[in-house]
Amino acid sequence: MTLSRDRIGGVLLLLFCGIYALKIGDIRLLPFQANQAFTPRTIPEVLAVLGVGLSLLVVIFPSDNENLSLRGLNWPLGLAFLVLMSAYGFTVRPLGFLLATSLFLMIGFAMLGERSPAKLLLVAVPLVVAFWVLMNYGLSVFIEPLPAFLRG
Amino acid sequence: MIDGILIGLATAFTLQNIAFVLMGCLVGTFIGMLPGLGPMSAIALMIPIAASLDPSAGIILMAAVYYGAIFGGSTSSILINAPGVASTVATSFDGYPMAKSGKAGKALAIAAYSSFCGGVIGAILLLIAAPYLASVSLSFQSTDYFALMVLGLSAVAAFAGKGEVLKALLMTVVGLMLSTVGTDQTVGVPRFTLGMLDLVDGISFLLLVMATFALSEALMAIIKKVDESKRDEERKAAAELGSMAISKEEVKEMLPVVPRTSVLGFIIGVLPGAGATIASFLAYGTEQRLAGSEKGKEFGKGSVRGLAAPESANNAAATGSFVPLLTLGIPGSGTTAIMLGALIGYGIQPGPRLYIDQPDVFWSVIISMWLGNIVLLILNLPLIPYIARVLAIPARFLLPLILFFSLIGVYFVSFNTFDIQLMVLFGLAATILRLLNFPMAPMILGFILGGMMEENLRRALLINNDSWSFLWERPLTFTILLIAALCLFVPMLSGFWQKRKLAKAGHVSPD
Repeated sequence: MTLSRDRIGGVLLLLFCGIYALKIGDIRLLPFQANQAFTPRTIPEVLAVLGVGLSLLVVIFPSDNENLSLRGLNWPLGLAFLVLMSAYGFTVRPLGFLLATSLFLMIGFAMLGERSPAKLLLVAVPLVVAFWVLMNYGLSVFIEPLPAFLRG
Repeated sequence: MIDGILIGLATAFTLQNIAFVLMGCLVGTFIGMLPGLGPMSAIALMIPIAASLDPSAGIILMAAVYYGAIFGGSTSSILINAPGVASTVATSFDGYPMAKSGKAGKALAIAAYSSFCGGVIGAILLLIAAPYLASVSLSFQSTDYFALMVLGLSAVAAFAGKGEVLKALLMTVVGLMLSTVGTDQTVGVPRFTLGMLDLVDGISFLLLVMATFALSEALMAIIKKVDESKRDEERKAAAELGSMAISKEEVKEMLPVVPRTSVLGFIIGVLPGAGATIASFLAYGTEQRLAGSEKGKEFGKGSVRGLAAPESANNAAATGSFVPLLTLGIPGSGTTAIMLGALIGYGIQPGPRLYIDQPDVFWSVIISMWLGNIVLLILNLPLIPYIARVLAIPARFLLPLILFFSLIGVYFVSFNTFDIQLMVLFGLAATILRLLNFPMAPMILGFILGGMMEENLRRALLINNDSWSFLWERPLTFTILLIAALCLFVPMLSGFWQKRKLAKAGHVSPD
């Protein structure tokens, strides 16, 4: 039994469906619902059975036997971008939209190979400012532009 | 119907809405042209803007983006052999060889005229079919709706790629599971919130779409290292388009092809789950057969017919997929599933009542399709040489920008930074599943239909005193469920029989 792409995906989704099934027990049922044909647990129970069954079928009868090859894939860079996005989520409020977004874009451009500091600044900053102006004055969507320590 | 058309014309032809059609087509073409980004990502990126508009304007904008993105996808297929979407893969078969022989402008013009005709014929058919189907579906009850949703989901299996049925079904179930997260609609009990307040309202549909499409597509491009030498080729192709004039002979060749492939595309588009990809391949295959042995040999080497057929079919199918959405409230494709989510966001429930309760939305979508097609032809085609320069933007600038627009699109709707973290998580999961070759569209379809399916089933049970007998006692429900079962099991069984046949043949041949 080879560990093909289908099988890896099947196992991962089997794990997800298993956790989902376990969590069904956490759904509280109100006393009068005990004997009803349909409760908030009904659909999740059906889905859990289907999910577990189908993922097992994918594991047992994979449609392609191609192995997952990470060769040629720059996955550390992908992970770094995930970290960058997460960091953006944490900083967009305290640093304000303009600073946090400019930093996010400049670091992103640099991570993909842009080395000129002038280009980093000249592409990111005007774009972020223009976007903020468009959102704020064009579509009336307000987002705090300045860092927390500069706000009045 | 005349009243409806007039309402649609009055709504669509306001200055504001015409501006949205223009903007939508342009932005859609721009996004659709970027390799890897398709109509789904384009529409998803537009939702935050559409959410701040009134429903008619919002839907008009999204429909225009949809058309623009399909057109943009065709452009990148023809110029650089990199279809942004699966539905324009067939376009590259003949479009790219034409472009390589120095006729890129001609290929683009043929694609644009065919798309225009396909879209217009599709819109005429939609105009006829939609009100009729809507009036029929007024007699539908919640049991029938439940059955229809089961059919919509099982159709995913029927149209999944070869050997992909199980994976498509599994992803549909995953989508259904994700739709159960949040507070239960009727009793108000929290489900799968893991004790987090941020999950009490459930997972935002926009968040899921952005994470699984725009975000994961950009991440895939990041990890699959960009080949800069290939990008030089792209820049060169974008700079040299050649003449856009079409000769009389070429028009003659296109004339019979366009109407028949448009009708074929529309019919395929109406079927739930089928969509533009199957329509374009089917049209290509049919035309190749109809062309005869002589002309058939030209297919794949720059044939006019081979380019016109998939282009008219995919545009007509895109229009056709609006039929189940507008009349039954059931999305026929991943893209219309996103539009359904947006409509629900406006508090509009698509379905037979839409035609009666909100005729302005119903008709303005249909009218805006015509308008969108005209805009694509007279405005986008001449602008192609300029729009194509988007292909010259270096990936190192483009990809972080796509990530930024996805993140901020979701954040601007909820203003909750938890959503950004959740997006990162879903983006990671979607990228892994994509690397493992698992389809994403069935998951979105399941996610959108999940809530409605549960609600209709619950209502049906309530009406039937908690008895499940409606599943076989009501003829309409039973028939739809039977079709759903056929959709589900026929492809599975045919695959199984084929395998058995092959195994048997393999077993016999050595003897």
